[in-house]
Amino acid sequence: MRWRWAVVALLVAAAAELAVGRGVDWPHLDPLEQRILIELRLPRLTTALLAGAGLGAAGLLLQAVLRNPLAAPELTGVNPGAVLGVLAGMQLGLVPADSAAGALLAALTGGACGGALMWLLARHGSPVEVAAYGLLGSAALAGVTTLLLAYQPSRFGNALRWLVGSVDGRVWAHVQTAWPWLATALVLAWLCSAALGVLAAGDGHAAALGVPPRPTRAVALALAVALAAGAVALAGTLAFVGLVVPHVARAMCGSDLRRALPAAALVGATAVAGADALAQVLTVLVQSGPAAQRLGVPAGAVTALVGAVALVVVARRSSHVEVS
Amino acid sequence: MTSLEAATARPAPRWPASLTLVAALAGAVGLTLALGLPAEAEVARVVLWELRLPRLLLALSGGAAVGAAGLLMQAALRNPLAVPELLGVSTGGALAAAVMVVWALPVPAALQPLVALVGAVCGGAVCLAAAGAGRGPGAVLLIGAAVSTALQAVLLAVMAAADRLQYDTLFRYLVGSLTGITWDHVGLSLPWLLGCAPLTVLALPALGVLRLGDEAAAAVGLHVGRARVAVLGLAAVLVAVVVGPCGPIAWIGFVAPHAARWLRPAADARLLLPWAVVFGALFTTVADLAARHVFAPAETPLGAWTAAVGIVAGLVMLARRSTS
Repeated sequence: MRWRWAVVALLVAAAAELAVGRGVDWPHLDPLEQRILIELRLPRLTTALLAGAGLGAAGLLLQAVLRNPLAAPELTGVNPGAVLGVLAGMQLGLVPADSAAGALLAALTGGACGGALMWLLARHGSPVEVAAYGLLGSAALAGVTTLLLAYQPSRFGNALRWLVGSVDGRVWAHVQTAWPWLATALVLAWLCSAALGVLAAGDGHAAALGVPPRPTRAVALALAVALAAGAVALAGTLAFVGLVVPHVARAMCGSDLRRALPAAALVGATAVAGADALAQVLTVLVQSGPAAQRLGVPAGAVTALVGAVALVVVARRSSHVEVS
Repeated sequence: MTSLEAATARPAPRWPASLTLVAALAGAVGLTLALGLPAEAEVARVVLWELRLPRLLLALSGGAAVGAAGLLMQAALRNPLAVPELLGVSTGGALAAAVMVVWALPVPAALQPLVALVGAVCGGAVCLAAAGAGRGPGAVLLIGAAVSTALQAVLLAVMAAADRLQYDTLFRYLVGSLTGITWDHVGLSLPWLLGCAPLTVLALPALGVLRLGDEAAAAVGLHVGRARVAVLGLAAVLVAVVVGPCGPIAWIGFVAPHAARWLRPAADARLLLPWAVVFGALFTTVADLAARHVFAPAETPLGAWTAAVGIVAGLVMLARRSTS
């Protein structure tokens, strides 16, 4: 029953994403408007769905395997590292500014490095401590990003997409590079989800059941990095998607990874598509201002606002969030 | 507190530390004023009086204020990872400045720092209101980080509507710089800072009690939630006064208290405060020297230098904590 609601929500979000925005008058479409729909809005929708699914699944994998409800791609150094990788690649001229494959490679390298760094530094802490370390590490990586921008401020305009996360201006070429990667990682993660679920119960249980803890954890972390970095390469960091979506998915269908993983991907895709639809509505609304014609409200701003409100509400309600 | 135990094991610092620090400060001040003065006496007088002196004053007082604010935050939240950037103050100031510039609001140039200051205070107020009194320090830190991220996302969304010229104007509000500081800016900031100084001293006894832990502090008769919010509010004002004219100068509030604690490991907040203040002032002045002279005649943003130092310091500290 809940699945049906989730699918309905996804369909509504996708339809809204296709329907709102500038340049198309429903329901009578002339050929130009059809082209807008097929060549601009459809890849944009696909981008949003893919990025959301990737971030949601990555967050769930990290939270399950690290047994830390606050482990999210943005708090474990993966997302900041991926952003830094893409920006560094572009600023230093290693990655062409519009090469989707190059961005994916740079994001993967950066995300793996950032995640490994935070893992090495903070692996022994308690969950909230790890999150605090993650905040500091993210701040450090964001500082390096600022340094890069200071080095060549003239390229700043392009960098905003990666910093805040937006699915603006993504076309089929970007989707074509990204979807095999993200789809493969998602399917692999789902195939492994039974073993990962055992691991989430504890290293001892996993070993007793014949699942070697360390290699399994390494595989899961690699998959999480692959998913998060693929999403970042496609759409930039969409703040709080990787943190909040897994909790929604688990509330929806329990913590069994075999069902929670598809649910997380589904909820993540819904969240990002819905956020982008909302962002486009906002863009149309603020268009009366003199400066707002140039670019739209990025979807990442909407996810960050909504996610922050959700996080504040949850943290205010729970009494046991403490840092020693 | 593992860091405390590890720190007390170190041999007691030698007494001339204070002398060395004062000498370093005097040296930095002298270099700032004297380095590269024009030969002509009249021009030199103008440069010295109209450009360098206000800049130096703001570097000294601003660095001291942010150093003190960092110490207040770390003590109030009992967390060495608490940084003023997580109070929403810096982002609030940057957001106000960005809205002002991008929407071309008719604000006279002299009032712009004041508007940024108001934005900074509002950002801090939003953060503290979301965190609320009576929360544990960990919850306050997490909520602060969430609100800061949301404000950052709004800032980037506003920036997305800016054009090239506006980027360049706004860049200092993203990175922080002391370029173009005049007596007007100093006249705006200094009264606030002088007003906050006695309040900071008044807050010190409460910090000493908070160090015992929330239960013990409550048993001694302190209203823990209110005291924490008051101290954090004071820290927010201290940072906001600097953010107004200079933009967010990152990491000083993180590095200065840690340097003080490294020098005086066993001291409590009362003894640490002068050290944190002096370190903050010294750090800012030296970084500003580097900003002006390393890539002369081009000037690098001050915030880039402080970030570079702060990132290294933060990673070193993380590595030390994770090994101890």
